[in-house]
Amino acid sequence: MLVLSAIITGLGLGAMYGLLALGFHITYVVSNTVNFSQGSSMMLGAVLGYTFAITLGWPMPLAVIAALLLCGVFGLAVERFLVRPFADRGSNAWLMATIAGGIVLDNVVMFTFGKEPRSFPSPLATDAVNLFGIGAYPLQLIIPVVGIVAAAIFSFLLRNTKYGKAMLAVVQRPEAARLMGIDTRLVIAGSFALSTMLAGVAGLLIAPLFNVSAGMGLVFGIKAFAAAILGGITSAWGVVLAGLLYGLVEALTTAFLGSTYTQIVAFSMIILALFIMPNGLFGSAGIKKV
Amino acid sequence: MTTPTEQTPTTIPLRRRLGLMIGDQRTAYTFIIIATIGGLGLALNVDGYFNFVLAMAAMNILVGIGLNILLGLSGQVSFGHVGFFAIGAYATGVLMLNGTGFWVAFALASVVSAVVGLLLALPALRVSGPYLAMMTIAFAFIVEHGAIEWRALTGGANGLMGFPSPELFGYILSETDMCVFAIGLAGVALIFYQRLAHSTWGRAMRAVRDSEVAAQAIGLNPLVLKTASFVLSAALTGMAGAIFAPLNMFISPSSFPFFQSILFILGVVVGGAGTLWGPVFGALIVVLLPEFLSDFAEYRLLIFGGMLLGVLWAAPRGIVGTIAGWLSSENPAPAPGNTGALPRLLKIEQAQRLDVNGIGISFGGVKAAADVSFSAEPGRITSIIGPNGAGKTTVLNLIGGFYQPDTGEIRLGEVISGKSAFEIARAGISRTYQTTQLFEHMSVVENVMIAAKRGRLGTILGTANDAEDRLLAEQLLAFVGYTGPLARLAGNLPHVDKRLVEIARALATRPQVLLLDEPAAGLMREDKTQLATLLREIADLGMTVILVEHDMSLVMGISDHIVVLDAGEPLTQGTPAAVRDDPAVLRAYLGGTEYQGRPRAQAWSGEKLAVLTAHDLEAGYGAAPALEKVHVDVYPGEMVAVLGANGAGKSTMLRAMSGLHRPVRGSVLLNDQETARSPAHRIADAGMVLVPEARQVFPEMTLRDNILLGAWTRKDPVTEAEFEAITKRFPRIRDRMESKAGVLSGGEQQMLAIARGMIAKPKILLLDEPSLGLAPSMIGELYDVLADLRDEGVTVLIVDQMANLALTVADRGYVLESGRIAHAGAADELKNDPTIERAYLGHSGEK
Repeated sequence: MLVLSAIITGLGLGAMYGLLALGFHITYVVSNTVNFSQGSSMMLGAVLGYTFAITLGWPMPLAVIAALLLCGVFGLAVERFLVRPFADRGSNAWLMATIAGGIVLDNVVMFTFGKEPRSFPSPLATDAVNLFGIGAYPLQLIIPVVGIVAAAIFSFLLRNTKYGKAMLAVVQRPEAARLMGIDTRLVIAGSFALSTMLAGVAGLLIAPLFNVSAGMGLVFGIKAFAAAILGGITSAWGVVLAGLLYGLVEALTTAFLGSTYTQIVAFSMIILALFIMPNGLFGSAGIKKV
Repeated sequence: MTTPTEQTPTTIPLRRRLGLMIGDQRTAYTFIIIATIGGLGLALNVDGYFNFVLAMAAMNILVGIGLNILLGLSGQVSFGHVGFFAIGAYATGVLMLNGTGFWVAFALASVVSAVVGLLLALPALRVSGPYLAMMTIAFAFIVEHGAIEWRALTGGANGLMGFPSPELFGYILSETDMCVFAIGLAGVALIFYQRLAHSTWGRAMRAVRDSEVAAQAIGLNPLVLKTASFVLSAALTGMAGAIFAPLNMFISPSSFPFFQSILFILGVVVGGAGTLWGPVFGALIVVLLPEFLSDFAEYRLLIFGGMLLGVLWAAPRGIVGTIAGWLSSENPAPAPGNTGALPRLLKIEQAQRLDVNGIGISFGGVKAAADVSFSAEPGRITSIIGPNGAGKTTVLNLIGGFYQPDTGEIRLGEVISGKSAFEIARAGISRTYQTTQLFEHMSVVENVMIAAKRGRLGTILGTANDAEDRLLAEQLLAFVGYTGPLARLAGNLPHVDKRLVEIARALATRPQVLLLDEPAAGLMREDKTQLATLLREIADLGMTVILVEHDMSLVMGISDHIVVLDAGEPLTQGTPAAVRDDPAVLRAYLGGTEYQGRPRAQAWSGEKLAVLTAHDLEAGYGAAPALEKVHVDVYPGEMVAVLGANGAGKSTMLRAMSGLHRPVRGSVLLNDQETARSPAHRIADAGMVLVPEARQVFPEMTLRDNILLGAWTRKDPVTEAEFEAITKRFPRIRDRMESKAGVLSGGEQQMLAIARGMIAKPKILLLDEPSLGLAPSMIGELYDVLADLRDEGVTVLIVDQMANLALTVADRGYVLESGRIAHAGAADELKNDPTIERAYLGHSGEK
C-alpha cells in the first residue's frame, strides 16, 4: 500500500519535473542556453492561474489559457533580455542573468501576490477516491497522465507540423535551417516561450496539491534541472523519463527512509549517475573538433 | 601604440599613471596591507554588532577569494560553495565542543573542506557547463540535508551551540579579536590570491580557462589544474566557515541555505571575477548594503537581483573589472631585438624522427583517416596536403593526441600513440591550430612563458625561472617577427600577430616536432613570404616540422617532403617536384575521374540581364580579406563555375552571397535588389538558395521532410506532382523518402540537398563543393543531374574542386586566386588554359 501510494505521488511529481525538464531541454538544444528561471516560470503559472481563477473569478479554462499565454510572454522576455544580449557576444553570463531574473520575479510576486502561501481549491483535489485500498485525489492520478500527454503532444507537434519541423531543423543543422529561409532567432525566442509555457502547465497542475506561493518554484526548478541533467539534456524523452525516475526515487525514499533522506538520496543519485555516465542516462556527446 | 615622445613623465595622463600603478605587483601588495590595516583599525574602534558585521564581511571576502580562484582563474563555476562553508563551520563546531582548541579545530576544518573539495572535484570536473553546475548544486543540498539528518554529529535541525570561546595563550578572544583575526586572514588570502594569480600555477590555470585544448598542447594537465583550484577554493571557503561557528556561537542547517551559494557568486560577479579587488567589493556590497538599507530589509533579494542584472548588462566584467579596464594601459614596451641567443636557448638535442605507421580513425562509421604512414625527419619540413576533407587536420590531431588512433602507431623514439595530449606535448610534440587558440586573456609574453614550462609547474606559489622563461619568450617573439607590445592581451592582437605568437608559444616548449595547421590561412602575401622564411629557419634549428597548408606556392616552396592525402587515405608521397608531376595528385585536385561531363549541346546564349551580380565584394575572417574586389555576374539560365585552389576564397564567396558570412564591403544584387546586408533567411526568401558544403541535410528527419523544409519560403503549397517531378531526377533516393537522411551515403545526401534546394524554386541555385568526398561513380551521377538542370534552364553558380568536370558542364567560369578573380571566360577556353593547373598546384617552385 505504502509502495503504491508512493508510486502515485512519485509519478505525479516526476511528471512535473519532466515537464520542466523538457523546457530545459528545448532551449538547450535550440540555442545551447538554459533558462535557470524555469522554477519561477512554474510559480508564475500557478500564481497567475490563482489570480485569474480565484481572485478575479474568471472561468477556469480562460484563466488557464491566460496564465499560459502570459508565461509564454515571460519566456520571450527572458530570451530577449536575459539570454540574447549575452549569447550574442559569446558570453555565458545568461546563466547568472536568468538566475537573477528568477530572483527578481520571485520577489516581485512576493510583494504583489503576498507572502502567505494560498491554497488553490480544485474539485479534483477535495475528495479522495479509493484506489486499491489507498486514498488518492483524482488530480494526483490525472497529473502524471496530463504530464505525459503534454510531453507526447509536444513531441507529436514537433515532428508533424511545419513549425515543429522548423524547430527540429534549427536543432539539427542551424546553418542549413537559415539557408532554408527559417529565421533562427524567431525559433529560439519561440523555444523559450514554449519552455516557460510547459513550466506554466506544471505550475497550474500542481498548485491544488501544494500551496501557491512566490517561493514555490525555486527548489522545484532545481530538481527539474537535476532531472534534465540526469536524463542527458540533449534527449527529449530522456529528460521526461529522468523526471519520472527522479520523482519516483524521491517518493519511495520518503516512504521508506523518511523525508529528510529524500534530498540526500536523490541528489547523491545525480552525482553518482554523472560520475558513471558523464553525458547523463540518455544524452550523447558530440565529436570534438579543433 | 604610443610613440616614445608621449612618455615623458609630464605628459602621462593621470588615468594612465593610475593604470600602470594598478598593474604593478608591489602596488597591489601595498594596497592590500593598507586596506587590511584600515579594516583592523576600524574593527578595533567599533562596538559589538558592527564588529560582527565586519567579521561577516571578512568571511565573505574569504569565500569570495576562494570562489574567485575557481571562477576567475580556472573559469569553473560552483553553486555548491555554501556546502564547504557549512563543512568548515560544522567541523570547527564539533571539534570545539569535543574539547579541541579553536586553532587546531580551525586548521583541521580547513583540511576537511579541502579533502571534501578534492573528493567532489574528482567526479565533478570530468563534466562541464550545466552538468558541473548540477553536480555542485547537488553537493550543496546533500550537505544541507546531511547536516539535518546526521543528528549525532550535527545536532540535526536544532544545530550546535555553546562553543567554548577561542583562546590564544590563555587569553580569551573577544568578538573584536575574532573580527581582527577574520580581517587579518582576509588580508593574507588577498596576498595569497595575488601571488597565485601571478605564479606559474596561476598562469597555468588561466591558460586552461582560456583554452583547454591549447593548454594540453603545451603539456598542461587541465584536470590537475582545475582540481587544484577547486581544492584551494574549498579550503578558503571552509576557513571562512570555521570562523563563522565560534563567531556566531550557533550553527544549524538553516544557517546554510542553498541560496547563500548564489549570493556568494553574486558578490564575485558584481565585484568582478578574475580581479584582485572584485571579491572584496562584492562581499562588502552583499554584507553591508542590507545593513545600510535596513528599512528595506525585505527588498534585499530584489535589490540584489536587480543589481546583478544591471552589472551583467552594463559592466559585464564587474565593477572592479570595468574600472580596471577603463584605467588599464598596457606597457608599450616591445620585445628587445633578436640577440642570436635562440639556438642556445632552444637547446634542441638530437631530435628524433617521427614515424607514423598505418594510423586511422573513424567517426560514426565514416573513415576520417585510414592507413596513413610516413616519416618526418628532423631538420626538414614535411607537408601534408590534399583536397578539402582529405583528413589532414585529423592526422595532426592524431599525432598531437587530440584523437586516439583506432589503428596503427606513432613513434617518436618510443611509441607515443595512446598517450593523452598533454603527455604527448611533454614528450616533445607541439602544435598550432587552424583557428588560433591563444590564451586570449593573457598577455603575449605570458602566453609564451607558460609554454616554456612544458607542464612542469613547480611549487604552488612559485615563480621559478621566470626571468629565464621571460628571456626565452622575448627571444622567441623577436625570432618569429612579433614587434608589438609584450604586455598586450593576446585576444586584442591582429590576426597575423596571433599566428606568430602561437608559433612562438609552440616553440617555447622546445619541441622535437612542430605541427602547424594552416599557419598561412588569412595572411597577406608579404606575411606569407615572411612565414615561409621563418618555417625554414625553424627547421634549420634541427626541429621536425610538419605542415598542413592550403597555399600550394608556400608548400611547394619550402617543403622537403610532401604527403598527399585524398579522402582520408594516402595517395602518394615524395619531393615537391615529384608530387607536382604526379598525375594522380592532379586528378585528386582537378577531378580527373574516368567520367566525362556532358557539355551543353549548343553554346548558351540568353538574356544579358544578370540574375546575380556581385560587385567589389570583400569578405574575410582575419586581418587579410579572404575575398577582394570580386566581381561576378550570372545570367538567367546560365551555369557558371568558380574554380581555384583550396583556400582561394571560393566557399567564402558563396557564404558571403548567401548571408552566412557578412561581407565587409561591396554589393550583391539579386534581380537588382541589394542583399549584401540581409540575414541568410531573408536572402533565401528572396530566391537565392545555397546548397551548402558538406550537404548539411537534417540527419534526424526523413528525406521527405528534408525536401519539404526546402519549400519553407514558398507561399504556394508543394503539390504531390511537383514533389514527384523533383524526386524523379534522383532515382537513387526516390524510393527512400521515409527513411532518415542521416543514414544516406555522402553522394545520396548530396542528391537530397540539391532536391531540397530545387523545391524552393530559386531564382539562382548556389552549389558549394557538391562533389567533395564522393565516390567517383557518384560524381558522375551528380554531374549528369547538374547537366540536366542546366539544360532545363535552371540558373546555377557552382563551386567545385573538380575543375575539369565543372568546366565541362558549365558555360562560363571564374578562377579565384588568393581571394581575387585571376581569370574569367568561357568554360572551354578556361579548360584548356594551363594557368588553371598552376592556380591549383602552386608555382613558386619556378619562382
